[in-house]
Amino acid sequence: MPREAELSLNEREFLLQALRENVRLDGRPFDTFRNVELKFGEEYGVADVQLGKTRIVVRVSCDVTAPYPDRKFDGIFNITTEFSPMASPAFEVGRPNESEVILSRILEKAIRRSSALDTESLCIIAGQKCFAVRADIHVLDHDGGLVDAACIALIAALQHFRRPDVTVEGENVTVYSLREREPVPLAMLHHPLCVTFSYFHSGEVVLVDATLAEEQVRESEVIVTMNRHGEICQIAKYGGSPIDAVSLLTCTSSALGKVQALWKYIQEKLDEDAKKRDAGGLMAELSAENAR
Amino acid sequence: MTSTLLLLPGDEVPSSLLPKGNHKPLVLGPGLRHAPPSSVRATVSGTLTVDARKNALWIETNRGRYIPHVNDLVIATVLRSSSDFYHCTITPHAAQANLPQLAFESATRKTRPQLAPGALVYARISSASRDMDPELSCVSASSGKADGLGPLKGGMLFDVSLGFCRRLLLSESKVPLPAEQGGGAVTILEALAEKIGFEVAVGRNGKLWVDGGDVKMTLAVGKALQQTDQERLTLDQQKKLAAKTLRELGS
Amino acid sequence: MAVPEATLSHLNRADGSATYSSNGYTVVGAVNGPIEVQRRDELPEEAAIEVNIRPAVGVGSTKERYLESILQSTLRRIILTHTFPRTLIQLTLQVVNTPAPFDCPFTSSPLPLLPALLETAMLALLSASLPLASTYTSVGLALAMPSPVKKKASLSATAIMPIDDKALEQASSIHVFAFTADGDLLVAESEGLFAPEYWEHAYDRALELCIGSKDGRAEGEMVVEGEPEDRNESQWLRSVMQEKAEQEQRWKT
Repeated sequence: MPREAELSLNEREFLLQALRENVRLDGRPFDTFRNVELKFGEEYGVADVQLGKTRIVVRVSCDVTAPYPDRKFDGIFNITTEFSPMASPAFEVGRPNESEVILSRILEKAIRRSSALDTESLCIIAGQKCFAVRADIHVLDHDGGLVDAACIALIAALQHFRRPDVTVEGENVTVYSLREREPVPLAMLHHPLCVTFSYFHSGEVVLVDATLAEEQVRESEVIVTMNRHGEICQIAKYGGSPIDAVSLLTCTSSALGKVQALWKYIQEKLDEDAKKRDAGGLMAELSAENAR
Repeated sequence: MTSTLLLLPGDEVPSSLLPKGNHKPLVLGPGLRHAPPSSVRATVSGTLTVDARKNALWIETNRGRYIPHVNDLVIATVLRSSSDFYHCTITPHAAQANLPQLAFESATRKTRPQLAPGALVYARISSASRDMDPELSCVSASSGKADGLGPLKGGMLFDVSLGFCRRLLLSESKVPLPAEQGGGAVTILEALAEKIGFEVAVGRNGKLWVDGGDVKMTLAVGKALQQTDQERLTLDQQKKLAAKTLRELGS
Repeated sequence: MAVPEATLSHLNRADGSATYSSNGYTVVGAVNGPIEVQRRDELPEEAAIEVNIRPAVGVGSTKERYLESILQSTLRRIILTHTFPRTLIQLTLQVVNTPAPFDCPFTSSPLPLLPALLETAMLALLSASLPLASTYTSVGLALAMPSPVKKKASLSATAIMPIDDKALEQASSIHVFAFTADGDLLVAESEGLFAPEYWEHAYDRALELCIGSKDGRAEGEMVVEGEPEDRNESQWLRSVMQEKAEQEQRWKT
């Protein structure tokens, strides 16, 4: 089974020595993200995020199906993450490795179980018809920070997505195609974003948004998911060396600033895109309705 | 002599460009193959380069994965050791290269260097064929001397493009040729070395090893080289970059 | 026909990569290789080629497997696999964008996507500098026959269009061709209702679109800034590579 190429001893030692001297290889301060670049596709619900050299494309789509029998009033929302050898030859098709499992679990907890998307709003006729929204996460380039980048892309794509409009008359449901009627944005309850903290030198050095090389050397990581109101959706620490409980508090307060800045950036990009799409001014009214 | 003729795979080299009036056998370098009876076809995309003096032609490219060739200098990482060999990687996920444990300067069973997994070695490819795993050596076959090869201690590894490695090695020769004559046109190393001291090893496999003594120096040199590669800086721009780097180092 | 767009070598991890978009299809391709091959796939005399096609939505199904098999057998003829025995050349094609689905007889057909996949694969292989026997170009055509279909219906009444939304709506059959730079037929896939002479008609048109008229191309011809009508896929490919080569040689000036 192919494995991710490991760093040489020289690189490891150099990286750790540099961190001891307060230097990151790319010259960033410890607590800053790499450059984030967000682009939207021509269609609704396609977000392309570039975080440093990491690149992730998320595509949100939906169709109409029957709801689960035990959840009659809820629509369906699924997130799929499948790595391909494009991001690294170490990823094998159909055989999820550890980072793939972690990514899908974190996103599941951070976005789906935190009810970021109001699934009740996806219900069309209780017990019979609902929308099934799915988000496909494609990792094109991998240089660390997959969780953070995927979360940014996913939230942006969900917010950008428009589902077809429907009308219900008794038992009859009419789904209008995008050409017939202006599609409807999804009802988002809040916008959780992930910030990953990496620990080095038994907790003395804490990095935000580690690159792949830094990820390979770190002792442990903590992933905090939070929305811009400072509400924590989840905190994950999968093994690694123990960290001080107090440092968790530092993490969460530092995460808040990051999340707010990221959300502001996403919002700006969404507005920019809306303006571009909307020549007549109709969309401006629509987006005003949905601003929370 | 370089031409600006771009060839795509399958294109025939125009016979007018084949070097003539030379009794040496025609040498086809990387990216070309002989298509019987008398034509030469490209197999990769790139610009055709002709050296009339050596009666050789090849295609210049700057992309893709490194493929081992005999006598290339590479920076390899030791993966594990067995009783007679160190098993190394030259490029990730490719076939492992074997480095005999006695292929170091004046190495005997007792004095051979002990390399841990993850250690870096600067080595020459002593044999490479498509049917066998490549073999490495850290001694010159003729003199038995290390000639600068051997384990690399400390320092840092930087990834650069394959074409840039080639250019660096070309520029290192005693009489650097200008770009028009096939030279590498890299001056940043000399420009930096005028003021600061550091060690560099260039591996044809797209790896650069730099040791400037401390973190700051090593990083500054490595970054400057990477920038020269990525932004394809011309000689003048390289001089400017060198000056800027030196200023930031405060020397 | 809209001019396709291409970006080369833009991914950092892969050995070669390319993004190709044309007529609403966008595909990102990455090539890794030659790398170590798993024992079960190892071929003693040549490199194994693995093609992974990943749809924009959902996980791969039989449609993707079918396209993979076409690409795999095509690329085996193009890549000089004997240069690297017992290795693996891994090609991943990620579909990023497809035109919005609509009702037409070919909604679920895999063929409209095939030209974009073939072109992306070519660009990614060029970007990876893997040794190739030749380049190829591909084009998809939709035939709209006057209905009801009569044998010997006049060929001139048949519209031949490059595959896009509009063409698919009226199409009675679709055809995908790929030609090597020398004009040899490499791939021919067809679907729908058509008579042999229609296929030949489509073949001629595809050849014209891919490499221009048969006698119009001289050996080692450089890119000509022609009228949009004169433009063909081979010229386009050459101009993309020319641009890339110039970028890479910038330090020489």
